[in-house]
Amino acid sequence: MDPTSNPTIDPTKLKAAAEPGAFGGYLAALPHPPMGHDHGPMKSVRTAEYQGHRISITTTYEITVDGKPLMAGLDVDDSGMLSCHGLPAYQFVSAVDAVRVLIHNYPDYFGGGG
Amino acid sequence: MPVVRRNILTDAVARDDYVRGVGLLKQGNSPYTTTQLGIPGPAAPVRTYDLFVVWHGRTMMTPIPPGGNPQVRNAAHRGPIFLPWHRVMLGFLEQNLQRVLNKPGFALPYWDWSADGDLGSPTNAQIFTPAYLGGDGDPVSDGPFAFHAADPATFTVRIEAAGPGGMTLRQTSRGLRRAFAQPPPFGWLTLPTGAEVKDALAFTPPAGGNPVDRYDTLAFDASSEGFRDRLEGWIPKDPARPVHLHNQVHVWIGGDMGPSTSPNDPVFYLHHCNVDRIWEGWLNRYGRIYAPDMTAPAGTYKGERIDDPIASPLGASATPRSVLDVSAIYTYDVLP
Ligand SMILES: [Cu+2]
Repeated sequence: MDPTSNPTIDPTKLKAAAEPGAFGGYLAALPHPPMGHDHGPMKSVRTAEYQGHRISITTTYEITVDGKPLMAGLDVDDSGMLSCHGLPAYQFVSAVDAVRVLIHNYPDYFGGGG
Repeated sequence: MPVVRRNILTDAVARDDYVRGVGLLKQGNSPYTTTQLGIPGPAAPVRTYDLFVVWHGRTMMTPIPPGGNPQVRNAAHRGPIFLPWHRVMLGFLEQNLQRVLNKPGFALPYWDWSADGDLGSPTNAQIFTPAYLGGDGDPVSDGPFAFHAADPATFTVRIEAAGPGGMTLRQTSRGLRRAFAQPPPFGWLTLPTGAEVKDALAFTPPAGGNPVDRYDTLAFDASSEGFRDRLEGWIPKDPARPVHLHNQVHVWIGGDMGPSTSPNDPVFYLHHCNVDRIWEGWLNRYGRIYAPDMTAPAGTYKGERIDDPIASPLGASATPRSVLDVSAIYTYDVLP
């Protein structure tokens, strides 16, 4: 990138790219996600160093709801707080809370409780 | 001529144009079908408005770096790219509204949620009255986005997150959902306040660092120190207070503002326009700077560095650097 050129986004290009044909064409060309199923349990790997020692902590949540595995995509960060794909603006202190809130927000996915 | 984005509460023309334009984008078919966009079920035309829902949902599944875990960092959230990506998204919506309204001077209005936060977060705030966006409910039952089952032109949610895994989209046909001020952990009782916005803007990194540390720092994720992570709402990490600013507004509104398909609610754009305004206030105050630059290793940070393409139909021409000064396209009436 030449720092002397004006890098600013071009309003004419923006207008053309926002037109539904061009915009939809971009979305249609994206790699399609796998249909009908979500990814398996994902690992969170936390690493740190302390007094010259290397720490690595791998966490996987195995969750079932009514006996059925739930691929909630829970991720834990260095502070111990949890986040998940299903509710991307949330941050949780407890994995149990996270699953409660997922059930609350996706009631038809889980069906009626016992 | 740049357009001027104004507070929706002080500009009834922008409000009425926004509501009417959203209705037109909801009625108009794009040239693409659900099948062409990889959404299961029978092929149905995708409305122009719903292209934005798909774009947001898909970008949230696009990891940074490529091959990484999109839950840790994706091409629109949980890292420094959060502000540039949403700036481009708002630009795309504004262009489409100008087109369907046949009004090149239309500017997206913003909702200054911190003003409502300062008033005690009333669930009957002016923005949520029938003359504006309507209130909450499942479905929303008043205002321009209420659901009337017998009316074929009623505001209808047609694409939603398929389940709690959050990685796939599906078709539906239902009214909009909002659930204001649910108690934690289901929601949050208050909106952010003006003092909290001021605090994020005033954040100053430790002396002796690089000036761009003010924006974002290693590891450029949902735990990193800086203005961006404060405004996005992941820090400070406090178990008693897990949501802040941008995230807090999503969680306070609840319903369709929760999942990856949150652009289903027209309040999404007014909320993000205010987030963009706060960023613009920061850029105006501290300089048009961004981190990380291209010395950050591609293997970890590709997709969020200053000259990396933003995930958008603009391709390589839209980068974080290209959106640091958008004064040729729009400005704001007031900066925080
Ligand atoms: Cu977003």
